[in-house]
Amino acid sequence: MLVLCSILIMGCAESKILERVSLVTLIGYDLEEENKVTTTSVIRQINPEFESKVEVQSATEGTSKGTRIKVDMKTAKKIAAGQLRVVLFGEELAENGLNESIHTLMMNNELSTSVYLAVVRGTSKSILEYKYNEITDLGQHIYNLINHNVKQEQTISSTTHEIARDYYSKDRHFALPILAKNGEFVQIDGMGFFSSGKMVGELPADDMLYIMMMQDNFKNGKLDLGLDGESVDPTKFKDKELQIAVDSIKTIRGIKVVNPDENEFDLTVKMKCRLLEISSEVSTSDVKVLNKIEKSMSKKIESELSRILEYSQEINSDIYGFGEQYRAQVRGSDLTEEKWTEKYQEMKVNINVDVEIIRNGVFE
Amino acid sequence: MKSTLQISDNQKISSSLFFFVVLATQIGVGIHGFQRVIVKDASNDAWISVILASIFSHIVVYFMFKTLSLSTSDDLYGIHQDLFGKYFGNFLNLLYVLYCSFSFYSVIRNYIEVINTWVFPNLPQWFISITLLLLVIYAFTGGLRVMVGVCFFSFITGLWILIILYMTLKYAHFNHLLPVFGNDLKSILRGAYSMTFTIVGFEIINVLYPFAKEKDKVQKYVHMGLLFTLFIYLSIILVTLVYFSEEQLERTVWATLALFSVVKLPFIERIEIIIICFWMIIILPNLCLFSWAAYRGINRIKNIKATTFIWIFSILIFFANIPILSRIQIDKANNIFAQIAFCIVFIYPFLLYIIAFSKKMLTKKRERRN
Amino acid sequence: MFRGNKKKEISTKNAVKKEESKQIPIPSSKMEFLDKLKETMHSPADLIVKKISDTITIVFLDFLIDGKTLNEQILTTLEKVNSAPPKVIKENLLIAEVDLVTELNKSVFELLIGAVLIHVDGYPELVVSKISSYQSRGLSAPENESQVIGSQVGFNESLATNISLVRRYITNPKLCNEKFVLGKETNTSVSVLYVHGIASEQHVNTVRQRIQDLDLTDLIDSAVLAELIDDNSLSMFPQMLLTERPDRFCDGLVSGKVGIIVNGSSMAILSPYTFFEFFQSREDQNLRWPIATFIRLLRFAAILISIFLTPIYVAALTFHYEVIPQPLLVPLSESRAVVPFPPIIEAIVLELIIELLREAGARLPTKVGQTIGIVGGIVLGTAAVQAGITSNILIIIIALCALSSFTTPNYLMGNVIRILRFPIIILAGFWGFYGVMLAFCYLIIHLLRQSSLGSPYTAPIYPPRWKDWPDSLIRLPFPLVKRHSVNTRSSDTGKDTSNSLSKEEKVTR
Repeated sequence: MLVLCSILIMGCAESKILERVSLVTLIGYDLEEENKVTTTSVIRQINPEFESKVEVQSATEGTSKGTRIKVDMKTAKKIAAGQLRVVLFGEELAENGLNESIHTLMMNNELSTSVYLAVVRGTSKSILEYKYNEITDLGQHIYNLINHNVKQEQTISSTTHEIARDYYSKDRHFALPILAKNGEFVQIDGMGFFSSGKMVGELPADDMLYIMMMQDNFKNGKLDLGLDGESVDPTKFKDKELQIAVDSIKTIRGIKVVNPDENEFDLTVKMKCRLLEISSEVSTSDVKVLNKIEKSMSKKIESELSRILEYSQEINSDIYGFGEQYRAQVRGSDLTEEKWTEKYQEMKVNINVDVEIIRNGVFE
Repeated sequence: MKSTLQISDNQKISSSLFFFVVLATQIGVGIHGFQRVIVKDASNDAWISVILASIFSHIVVYFMFKTLSLSTSDDLYGIHQDLFGKYFGNFLNLLYVLYCSFSFYSVIRNYIEVINTWVFPNLPQWFISITLLLLVIYAFTGGLRVMVGVCFFSFITGLWILIILYMTLKYAHFNHLLPVFGNDLKSILRGAYSMTFTIVGFEIINVLYPFAKEKDKVQKYVHMGLLFTLFIYLSIILVTLVYFSEEQLERTVWATLALFSVVKLPFIERIEIIIICFWMIIILPNLCLFSWAAYRGINRIKNIKATTFIWIFSILIFFANIPILSRIQIDKANNIFAQIAFCIVFIYPFLLYIIAFSKKMLTKKRERRN
Repeated sequence: MFRGNKKKEISTKNAVKKEESKQIPIPSSKMEFLDKLKETMHSPADLIVKKISDTITIVFLDFLIDGKTLNEQILTTLEKVNSAPPKVIKENLLIAEVDLVTELNKSVFELLIGAVLIHVDGYPELVVSKISSYQSRGLSAPENESQVIGSQVGFNESLATNISLVRRYITNPKLCNEKFVLGKETNTSVSVLYVHGIASEQHVNTVRQRIQDLDLTDLIDSAVLAELIDDNSLSMFPQMLLTERPDRFCDGLVSGKVGIIVNGSSMAILSPYTFFEFFQSREDQNLRWPIATFIRLLRFAAILISIFLTPIYVAALTFHYEVIPQPLLVPLSESRAVVPFPPIIEAIVLELIIELLREAGARLPTKVGQTIGIVGGIVLGTAAVQAGITSNILIIIIALCALSSFTTPNYLMGNVIRILRFPIIILAGFWGFYGVMLAFCYLIIHLLRQSSLGSPYTAPIYPPRWKDWPDSLIRLPFPLVKRHSVNTRSSDTGKDTSNSLSKEEKVTR
């Protein structure tokens, strides 16, 4: 009996009762001088009046755990990071290199590897500490923002796992969405390209879809394009852009190494979509017109893709997996990081987009 | 060879249960982090290493059965005593008993380590070992049937984990697997060698053989069990390979558990915490059967009651668990165990078969001469 | 827990030695006889002594005999036969059960069961005519095991009625009936029933042996007998079924089980019974098989929910908050915010309140019971939430668990499920999911160790008896279901009984 009681008392695990911890829902890291990092955390406090307050605490230390100790000394309840869902990095920190941060995030057993990562313009501290009128819980808001966009395939999925996977892989780089404060709201402003953990370039949010098209297959994407009006119908749209919107985009992307010695790749995108919006003057019931639209779309997408690809080659950020495909398809390639960097710069890609419009609306 | 064991019919277990026994004893703690070691050698062809290791285990099992069936109904300990005489045979038995105890110890140690790292960093290790040992004692004193029953139930209640595994495929990059056979045969073989720690466990049939009801059907079930573990290991290694990049995998200590971290079910997230606690019932048959094998060995050398044995055994293991080891030390211990296991499980059965077979030929010749 | 659980010679609360009862001859003289009789029976008030003539006296216990037979048959015959020796009286009595007895204790025993003793002065013999008839409750619907469709008759307290009910279901000469008398003070009759050729010889012998080895002072109810001849009285799980329904009883007999009926108890015992059979109801046979399968699976899911849902809630909220998905996070935490206690205390307090309610509801008279039950439940629950003692989500969870535990068709097993939750909640409160898994492993090992009359308790799941699977967790259509379960197979049918565990099996050497 005594033995049992003593086992019971001494063998207790450390309890973290739900409403007695402060749940950190969002963390922002910023670069401070001299290898120090500022951590800003958004903490959800549960109090008995059925109103969950959201607190923002900030501390500067050499390590992330050190900042947590400091924050612990400022909060009424124990800090618990298990429900963390988004981690933000300040722009400066991103340009300096995210190597250490990624490593820390992976080492921590408290965090799951499905935490989203993102870069913010300016410092994360400024975004997090601002008192938003409309947003009550910033942590949840930003998580939902990123999450639903990822689910709708409008932004790249940037979970810790995927970032770590691409970062540690020799033949691939990663990209993170960039968030920016826009008045009273936070929005996804663009995408940051990384190379060896440092941010080297960025593209606006409108190009997001093209980037994702090259990265992976779409299941249900949306796009709006401005087509060259002349190629569709020279009579009505001379020198004008024809705006169309398509959705239910399903793409199958294929990268093939055509000639390994000359770094020649073939990028084929087969796209099936549904026409959603188009000018009423175009008669979509005519098969020939549809074909013309398809061809025009293909050309437009090809040009966009090649523009983006050139930009990526310039900044040397291979986020699409060309290196991976090279290693997979060419035997004995023995790819190292430096080798691939060289090859990537000289890479020639033949882009081939094939659009097929499956359905077009209920009204013609 | 005469059989020195008299086992009554109602103590025997049905042969189909051997399927579950082999399955349960093979799957233990090795499965948590075996991918890292294999991929270090064989990189993206690690799955071929897995298949090779499994084929090799099939061959080994075949020879084990041939040795065991040379005697009418005997286990490894009896064969040792028969072939090598009483003293040297008992010495070999003692070595085997030590090997079983080492297995037991490594399973408990690794499991405590996993719990401390992933779930409860502050839970004292002696507590985990006491509770696990108490469960083992309770199952052990129930008899062999209860222990085989635990194997059976651990299989049935553990099947859902495979389903969760397939949910991680949404992050799959299948080109990680290409190019197939990009690595030379030597590294693939080295990878297969690294699988030893994970794949051993089936040598329990050495000691369990006399308890089978229909001796001719047992081999079929054991091979089926090995095939099923191959299927499980193959699924895990394939999913791991397409999920992680190679370098990331080399840095991930417990890849299988990290896999589960990303699965999000509607009512539960972070399912790896639940799976790690659930793993208790998967390692319980390992612990029970290893200690039972050790008991059978000790029983040959000196007759001792089962309950006495298990209490002494548990106390010894508890004391062995008290010094707190660091990760590096545990890794080293695992490596030493893998080497010993490789010799005992993969090399020794061939030698034993040769010796047993030649002895049988000699005795036949002698009888013919007479 | 770790000591051997073998069943050995059982001695009951007061170890009364079996003494050889003295053989007392019957006095020939009338006065001596009456004196001896009153002395042996301590002059009970309901002992009627009637003098028929100068030589003939009849003695009987009021209320135990059939008055009509006494008046019409015995008295009229005795009028005719005047001063005849007992042998002649016996031949003239037109009653089916008439006997000549020369020993006093035996005749007193018969008197107690319901007989008229006829003493003729001058002869040391008694004519015993057994004409017992006593009041018993009429056949009514079983109270504790109700079914929606199916027969609605239940056993009552009289052994004779119960056996007659069984015989009406099983009209078969192979239905064997062995009688035992147990209890030194009460001399209760116990009947062991089984169908010869279907029930396994081993099981019948075990039951017979265990009953004969019993040394009881009294036996009032069958549940006591069940616990005494159980394989393991220390375990929480029942190993024999107690049932009030004759159709369930006979169904068990026909599939090879051994049944025991105790006089004075309306619950009959059936054994061997496995764990999974406790969750089967007769109603499953009356419904169509997909529905029956669904309901059975629902029951098993209900057990799991009932045992593990509250502990999982306690574990998740106390230690593993990371497991909670985001949409649930806010409602859960806000509902818990007002509660001053940690989840484990909250859960245990609420569970205890529900147990109190249930126990009180069982004892209250029916008129008051229902109102108090409803009002108590609803008012207590709402008030508790409003006062901030518990959270409303926990109330839902606990109510769900309580509901699930009611789905077990067997009252005994339902009790087990109820009580089993408490230690698991405590374990979860201290060691989170690790504690829950400890309890789960312990339960599995415990169930595996149990045996019922020597057969494994977890059959047919383990040891896997594939032929019995169509009627265990699920119910497949009748052509696929084997009538005699492998568990209780007898050696007469040619199949081997080596599948069944012998009682002596323990750690193999």
